[in-house]
Amino acid sequence: MARMKFYCDAERCIECNACITACKNENDIPWGINRRRVVTIRDGEPGERSLSVACMHCSDAPCAAVCPVDCFYTTDDGVVLHDKDICIGCGYCFYACPFGAPQFPSSAAFSSRGKMDKCTFCAGGPEETGSGEEYTKYGSNRLAEGKLPLCAEMCSTKALLAGDANVLSDIYRKRVVNRGASVLNWGVQYKKAGIDS
Amino acid sequence: MLITRFTGDSDSQRFRLRVTIQHEDLLDGNIKMARVNNKKSDRVRKTLFFCVLSLLIVVTVPLVPYAIDAQAVAEKQIKADNVVALPNPAINLWNEVRQRNAITEGSSQVKSVDSGILINKAGEDWRRFRMEILVPYGAFSMAAVLLSLIAFFLLRGKMLLPEARSGKRILRFTLNQRTAHWFIVGLFWLLAITGLILLYGRIILIPLLGAEGFSITATACKDVHNLMGPLFLFAVLAMFLLFVKDNFFTGADLKWLAKGGGMFGGHVSAGRFNAGEKIWFWLLIIFGLSLCISGLILVFSIFGQGREVMALSHMFHGISALLLISVSFGHIYLGTVGMEGTLESMTTGYVDESWAKAHHDLWYEDMAGASETTESADKNSQAGIVASGIANTSHK
Amino acid sequence: MFEQFVNGIFWNFALIVFFAGISWRIIAVLRRGKPKDLSVPRNSGISGAIMANIRGFYPRKEIAPRIRMQVIAGYMFHLCLFVLLFFAAPHVTFIAEYITGFSWMPIPYWAFVVASEITFAGLVLLWIHRVLNPVTRLISRRGDHIASILVFIVMLTGCMALAQTSTELRVFHRFTVELLMIYFPFSALMHAIMFVPSRAYTGAWFGRRGVKV
Repeated sequence: MARMKFYCDAERCIECNACITACKNENDIPWGINRRRVVTIRDGEPGERSLSVACMHCSDAPCAAVCPVDCFYTTDDGVVLHDKDICIGCGYCFYACPFGAPQFPSSAAFSSRGKMDKCTFCAGGPEETGSGEEYTKYGSNRLAEGKLPLCAEMCSTKALLAGDANVLSDIYRKRVVNRGASVLNWGVQYKKAGIDS
Repeated sequence: MLITRFTGDSDSQRFRLRVTIQHEDLLDGNIKMARVNNKKSDRVRKTLFFCVLSLLIVVTVPLVPYAIDAQAVAEKQIKADNVVALPNPAINLWNEVRQRNAITEGSSQVKSVDSGILINKAGEDWRRFRMEILVPYGAFSMAAVLLSLIAFFLLRGKMLLPEARSGKRILRFTLNQRTAHWFIVGLFWLLAITGLILLYGRIILIPLLGAEGFSITATACKDVHNLMGPLFLFAVLAMFLLFVKDNFFTGADLKWLAKGGGMFGGHVSAGRFNAGEKIWFWLLIIFGLSLCISGLILVFSIFGQGREVMALSHMFHGISALLLISVSFGHIYLGTVGMEGTLESMTTGYVDESWAKAHHDLWYEDMAGASETTESADKNSQAGIVASGIANTSHK
Repeated sequence: MFEQFVNGIFWNFALIVFFAGISWRIIAVLRRGKPKDLSVPRNSGISGAIMANIRGFYPRKEIAPRIRMQVIAGYMFHLCLFVLLFFAAPHVTFIAEYITGFSWMPIPYWAFVVASEITFAGLVLLWIHRVLNPVTRLISRRGDHIASILVFIVMLTGCMALAQTSTELRVFHRFTVELLMIYFPFSALMHAIMFVPSRAYTGAWFGRRGVKV
């Protein structure tokens, strides 16, 4: 069975934000919810790198562990999804997530955040596949149609990869080998290929 | 020798006797007191030693796994410090992303709290704390206190008054103090129960109510808890203002603690509040304020608090809550079932004179203005039936 | 099923009992009339009635220090209850939909929550005082306690339904409200309406004799 993962190649990401735009468009995300974001470290300096991060669909998901109402579940593909009907909007998943994936529609006082929303790997939710409720609540279900998440499909430099973990790591391994070879080819010192060059 | 009836009426089936051995009894050789190598100070010292030892064991044994873990972490660190001659060029990138050496915030087009942080390591620490420490240890501490109290009650029973009630009552708590106390009681239990449902409901209630049923319960509990929480601050402040005057520690408290409140070593004097009550008061104030402050940080998440602040607040909140709940079991036990004549002090406000003399004799002296009388033959003959001694009636 | 019952039949029943019950009580009181007063009026009865109503809102100088807590808690409860009943957003929506047809500006969310907290505090403090004070404990009847506890339950269920995400909790709140509406005309809660004629009567009676009530 495939285990679905994301991988963002820091060397290729050019911070174009196409992944975010694609996600928001495809899943009809309301204002204020940011399922995916691009973070740039050392912005403007030599060694600047960007990474696109959303839910990483962890095998041992911290969000699922701390949820007081146990509204998370992992599909057979390894995609971590949750049930908005059960979610009480307490925010614990947001505290636990290392990547800041859970998003909430409102930030009113007295903890009235509303239902949690997050990246679904374009795999919909617990509602009936392809139904209107599923689309309004969770966004599109591309995985059921045999497609991959739109953020990775739209990535202009193929920095963001999504799909089966084995396939992804194979692609990335080839890239690393090529980079190592090209660095030596161009005569650049291997040590200076990092961010502290 | 004097044998007096301790408690109970003349026609009750159950009563206690007090046998007072007087000096004369020992002189005529009828009773031999053998106390070889068992002086009172030795026994006190041994009891204290074993108490301290068991406390140390209880505290350190659960920490052993962490010590072993810490050793493994230290080993990993040593390995990491050994720098390879040709390092992976991405090391620095991923160390910075992982925030291994410092907090590094990137920038993002998404402008929200913590949006520039790629990996928040506080999240996993908090998850481990909540699921592996707070949940099991909290349950353990509540269960341990509850079971020990039940065991204590089954073994020792209700502690009856040493003298019969004299019928004369002394005012112990004013109307304001009692109102504030019962107000905080109601709030405390409302918040405690809703909080415990949020912490343990996943384990205990989902099998009973189902996922949807428990979601409704949890929503209700979350809203009641978040709404009533800020009121607890006012309740704690009211308790502080109304009760702080007599709750400062004095020398008498050390003596009271040394004798375990009278559990080993006979009667021990206490003022208006004994050391145990003072400890409970200060625990309530300190941990109650900690609950309020951390609760306010958690419930007003609109001031840009990052996840680290929220996780830390939740940690303080959880520890304070479970500690207070556990200790409150003891307070409730002693205030209701544990002793005769205590509950009426908080319901009617008055206590019987004999209760005051038995439990808070220094306070009773201040209130009654009378000097403390030692138990003498005259007093006992007034209180109950005086039976003749076993040995020699001529002594009486 | 329960939702249909609460939103349909039981709501209509509660409305009828509420309004019919209140009207019945008011009419019954008015029908009793007042005894004929043959004495010469020393002062106007109407001014006595009005002044008694106004003076009822603050305690007498002689006893004011002793009942300070009740006055403050009472105002906390009543004022904030009025605010949250008629100006909280979910209530405004409900009233506009079912009763008046028009709505008005509700208070912000945080103000709703603060008002409900103050209401809770006032209600609980007053009920605890009622139980602990030996005098009020003696003269309180079952109805007084039931009224306090029922109002508390209505507010608690409202609190639970605050998130407005669960229809079950909202239905439960509405159910307790309907129970309160049915209980209202037959209980001490009628003071909400009766305090005006009651104070007016006493004020007028004594006002005619020239006595300030």
